[in-house]
Formats: sequence, structure tokens, C-alpha cells
Amino acid sequence: MQRVVITGVGAVSAFGVGINALWDGLSAGQSRVAAIRNFDVSAFQTQVGAEVPVAAINSAWISDHLPTSSPLLAQLEQAQQRGLWRDRKTAFAVLAAAEAWLMAGCGMAEREAGLSLALGLEQAFLEDFAPGFTEHGIHWQCPPKPQVAQAIRYRSEVDLGAQWLTERLQLRGPNVVNVSACAAGGLAIAQAAAWIERGQATIMLCGGADSMLNPFGLGGMSRLGAPSPRNQADACRPFDRRRDGLVIGEGAAVLVLESEQRALKRGAPILARLKGYGSSQDAYNPSVPHPDGGAAQRAMQQALLHAAVLPQQIGYINAHGTGTVLNDLAEARAIRRLFGPVAEQPWLSSIKGAVGHLMAASGAIELAASLLAFQRRILPGTAHHQMLDPQCEIRILAEPTAAESAYVLSNSFGFGGQNVALVVGAA
Amino acid sequence: MSLPVYVTAATVLCAGADSWRGLAARIAAGAVLSPSTQLQASHGLVWAAEIKDIPAKWDVEPRMRKWMSYPARLAAMVLNQLCHESNWSSEQRAAAALFLGVGASGCPISELTQMLKASIQQQQFELTRFGGAGLAACSPLLAFQLMNNFSLCHGAILTGLAGPNSAFFSRGTGTVAALAEAYWLVASGQSELAIAGGADSALHPVTWSQLVRDSWVACGLVPGEGAAVLALSPERQRALARLERVQFASALAIQSGLTEFLAAFGPVDPQRDWLVLAPWGPPARQLLASFSHTFAAERQVDISAALAETLAAAPALAVAVALDLLASRAQRVWVASAGIDGGVGLVLLSAG
Repeated sequence: MQRVVITGVGAVSAFGVGINALWDGLSAGQSRVAAIRNFDVSAFQTQVGAEVPVAAINSAWISDHLPTSSPLLAQLEQAQQRGLWRDRKTAFAVLAAAEAWLMAGCGMAEREAGLSLALGLEQAFLEDFAPGFTEHGIHWQCPPKPQVAQAIRYRSEVDLGAQWLTERLQLRGPNVVNVSACAAGGLAIAQAAAWIERGQATIMLCGGADSMLNPFGLGGMSRLGAPSPRNQADACRPFDRRRDGLVIGEGAAVLVLESEQRALKRGAPILARLKGYGSSQDAYNPSVPHPDGGAAQRAMQQALLHAAVLPQQIGYINAHGTGTVLNDLAEARAIRRLFGPVAEQPWLSSIKGAVGHLMAASGAIELAASLLAFQRRILPGTAHHQMLDPQCEIRILAEPTAAESAYVLSNSFGFGGQNVALVVGAA
Repeated sequence: MSLPVYVTAATVLCAGADSWRGLAARIAAGAVLSPSTQLQASHGLVWAAEIKDIPAKWDVEPRMRKWMSYPARLAAMVLNQLCHESNWSSEQRAAAALFLGVGASGCPISELTQMLKASIQQQQFELTRFGGAGLAACSPLLAFQLMNNFSLCHGAILTGLAGPNSAFFSRGTGTVAALAEAYWLVASGQSELAIAGGADSALHPVTWSQLVRDSWVACGLVPGEGAAVLALSPERQRALARLERVQFASALAIQSGLTEFLAAFGPVDPQRDWLVLAPWGPPARQLLASFSHTFAAERQVDISAALAETLAAAPALAVAVALDLLASRAQRVWVASAGIDGGVGLVLLSAG
């Protein structure tokens, strides 16, 4: 079995474009939850989110943030004409991938890479339905308004970002889009690692991108009652006794995974090692996790087993920690059972109070954040956490803390009961 | 370690079929496809293969249906039926892996229409109206109806399948990726039971409008819908077929060498091998033509011609047809699928 290493990482988050923006913001204990600006939310129940600081995405904004040598610079304008940037997450995926590709020193020889990308729901463009909508309903064959790109009408395509990246980077390896909701990012990374371990690939681009900060996404989540009802900067308070819901974020994180052999041969920088992964399914209820966190525990146990790492060797847990009452409690119970009493547990934090819940990209951005532990020897804190829920027996970090960690565990537990855990080790 | 992998159970549901047994013969006799619904395309009416008769005992309870998109309902039904027929214990189900190829999100049109009605005035969509009255007009469960992964999750919840799992978006190859993952887990000894398949509907109006817009319908694609799931296990005793190999490749990889990709499977025996094709429209059929020409014409089945285009379900339905061929007349069946993304999947099965 091949050993898997991380040789590149890129990120786009509410802290801005770039992994350093993410790491700097988390290291400083900052939060970017604020009023949503990219569309008028005055009539919406939920009005705050963790938004990437750009109102309208276009090819100029993307090219401004791409390295001058990036192969992803080509055809940005044509992509805009086709309407690709209407779906915000597509641009986020491109920028995160570009950064990871550059950091890993990838070039023509790396085009044998595969792609395992987590993508969120298609973005719906409700305004596209308006022409021809009558009392009889939707007129599907009504011609679109001239300024609406024919290619992206009514809704974007699920794999838009993956298609574009594959074409532009000429990726020839195994290619898959994971749509497992909040677990998708972690599962996409696990899949990439699996293919490398088995020898089915030697290098993979993997991660996730999502944005539900659009009218339909925000509205649907609000209707579900998942976001906090408080439109405040501290709307998301993971594991806090006063927690009352999540905050929607947006962004992307992409990593380059390689076989250690390949990375060493070409002199690629090794940031960390992807040691293990595990997944499970609650098989319980569509809207809430199993209260005892049993399936979440199994995912973590499998990851540790796969990594050949004992619970006491874990130095930090990046929790899923959404800030919802039930999810945090279920996760805390699973952690308590697996790691023992609080005093014996590793430090734990959730970054969702800082960057929001990136849904399909959450597992990816959180793994990228966890690399702080190795790159800067800092463990991120839990923004807006002040009073630990006594039912959550965990060793929570409220503030960023300097610490050494040999191994990190990153959790993602999704809507529908899909669970994934990743174990990452120092280089 | 590489254990043998067997297909030990399968369930299918599509227009004209709720069993894989006898399906190949019915396709050969032209007895399956009877397009039953007309859809409005930009160039006129087009026939579509809609599932008209859902077996009553298969269907999920009405109170659960409101949580589900239509593909999720199809997936839940076939998974439930698979578990019912296989009689697995609760422990077996709890450990079983599940990988599903799924399609685009599926908002019920009634919900969408209600929402738009409250949000649009004089053919202008108004954000302020949407944020208030528009959202209030739709079900609180809308998000769960939309999410593509719920095609997997509802089935898992209904059946207690609680092992490793993933939902892959599929334009064809995603479903083969699901099958490949299930295959690998069993072959490596990590799972004793892994279930894989696909579920989708090309009749959803938004999906349909995209197919029309992208000219797939104009070049002959007949929209269909369906779901198919297969159980894989190292247990020879219950084998319907042996799954020899599963592989898929992206469009770019194929461009540089379809022949090389196919050659990795070993030679075709035109005297005894059968081929089941699941090509997404004429371009995909063309892509696979060089491969299909190595088989005798009378030993080929094109499921898109017989079952219509079932999108993410197609490769899994094709494998189910292969099972029937193996049960009745074939020793070895190749299943070749090519998706809209140009990717190619290849599955090789032999008589168990």
C-alpha cells in the first residue's frame, strides 16, 4: 500500500483568497461572520453568513487572484460568456485548485493526476424562470433573456467546477464528484487517498467547493430552521450552551495528494501525511444525527485504525461542530466515548464560528485549517465559544493556541447521516 | 489480498421492468420499451419512458415521500427491495457499504411553482417577495427534497445500511465509480457486503430542459428514469455472477487511448462473449463503436435503445441486464458505458 502525502493546499474562505489568509485569520482568532452582501437579504429571515469578500464574481476578479503562470488563466473570459461564474463555487474551486497546484510545483508531468472533488448543490437561478411564467406555471421552452448565458439557465450543473478544472489542467487520472452534502469534502479527500494507496493513481487533486449564499440556498436552509435565528456576528457558537444554529459559509479548499514515492522523486514539498480515513452512515433520520453519536464514533475509530494511530496519540480534533444543538451533542458524546474523560482528551475546536459551515466544502476547508497544526504549530480556536455546554464533555479550545501535534483528526458529519473522519500526521 | 467478488443480489426498476430476470430476453424481443409519456421539446413532442407502474409493495410510505425527490424515492424502493429479498441480518446491514451514482437535484415542480408564483410579478422575479412570501409558500422540507445525497441517505435510513458510503454525481462514470469502490472493498477484504448502483430521472423538467438545450434530444436521446442496485460479496454460494473487473476512465484519458484502456481487460472472445452497451446518446455510442465491433452483432444489447436514457441509473441497469444474460445463455458479459462527460466505464462479469 502506498503512503499518501499532502504536497499542496489552496483555499478560498471568508478570510479571503489563499491558504495564508485562512491560516492568518484562524491564528488570530478572528471571525468573518457578518451581514451578507452579495444579494439583498433584507426580506430573508437569515441575513448573516461567512461570505467570501467579493460581491459579483467575474473573470477579472478570478484572473487577479490567479498566479501569472497558472494554466487556469486561459479561457476565463469564454467561461464568463458561458455563464460559469454565475455559480460562485465554481470560481472558488478554480482559485483553490490553482493555489494547491502551484504550491505542489505541479506542471505538465502532473497531468496524470486525477480529480476527486466535493461539490454542493447546483445553484438555482430563480430569476431565469420569470420570463414566460404565467398563471399556468413555468414555460420551460420560453427563450431566455439575452443576457442570460444559455449554458447556465435555471440551475448550474453539479459538476461544473470539476469539468472546467479537468479540461483546463488536462487531468487524465480517475475523476469523480462527491455529492455527499456536509461529508462530501472529507469523503472526496478519503477517496483520493484510497486511489493512491491502492496504486490506482499516484497524484490526485482533491477537496471541495460550495456556496449556499444565494437566494435559493439561503432560503432553503432558512426554511429548514438550521441557521441561527440571531443575525449577529456570533450567530454560530459551537458547543456553547447557548448555541442555536449554524451560519452558512462559502469557499473552497483543494489539496494535492501524492504517493510519498512520487513526491520524494520529484522533490515536492511534503506538508503532512494523510494517514487514515473512515466513514459510516447513521441510518437514522434525515434531519437529525443519531443522538448517541455511535456512527460518528465508528467513522473516527475506523480512521484511527486505518492510520494505525491510537486515540491518545491524537493531539488535536477539528470537530464538525456546527453550532446546532443536536449535532454538537452527538459529536461530543462520540468523542467522549472514544477518547475518554476530558482530561485525557486531545484539544478540540470547530472553525465554523469563524468561517461558517461550508457544507460540501466543510471537510476540505477544515482539513486545510488543521494543517496549521503542522505548518505553524498553532491549533485554531472556536470563535464565539464562551460557555461550554456541560453535556458536551470535550476539551475545547476557545482561543488559538500554540501546540505541537503529531496527529490530527478531522470530522465531518453530514445531513442524511453520512459521516467521515480523516487522520493527518506530521510530515 | 484479492478475494473473488460476486454479485449476489440485484434489484431494478425502470419503465417496463421491475425485475432483472428475463430482462435481456424481453429487450431482445423488443418487448420492454413502450414510451408512455410525451414531453414538450423545443422541436415538438418527444416520447419518454416514464415508470408508470410502481409495485405497490415496494413504494415508501406516503409520509416519507414528502421528504424525497423522485430519484430518492426510486433508490429507496430498490434498496429496500434488495434487502428484503436478500434477508440480511441487521448486523450485516449495519456493516454493509453503500455507493450510489446520483443525478442532479430534484425539487418537486409543485413546490417550485408555488414558490415562483409568490415571487414573480409581471414576469419579474422579486427578491424581496421571494424572501418572504416565496419561501413561506414552499415546504420546510424543500432542502431535503433537493439534496442529491438523499438518494443514498433515504435508502440507508429505510434499510439500516450503515457502513462506509458515498454519493457520486454521475453522468455515467460516477455510477461505475460507485461500483468500482464497492468491488474494491470486497476484493480487499474490507467489506463482506457492499451495495452499489444508481438512480435518476431524465424526466424532471429542469433536467429535461437541459437535455433539450444541449441538443441531446435532437440527436435521438429518449429520456427515461430508473434505479438499479447490486449487492457484492465474496460469498460464492449465492452468486448470480462473478464480477471480474470494474474500471472507468475520464474523457481525456480515453482520448489518448481507448484501445489501451480496453486492452487492460484482456481479449474479447467474439465466439462466446456478450456485450451490453449503455451509451449516453449517439456521441457515446460512436465512442464505443470500435469496441462493440469486436463482438458479434447478435451478441450485443444496447440498453439505451431498449430502456431509454436513465442517466445515473444506466450503468447499473446495464449490469443487471448482464446478469440475466449470464443466467440464461452467456458465459461472459462485458458492460460498456459512456457518459455525457465522455468518460467510459467497463465492467466484466462471468457466470458465477
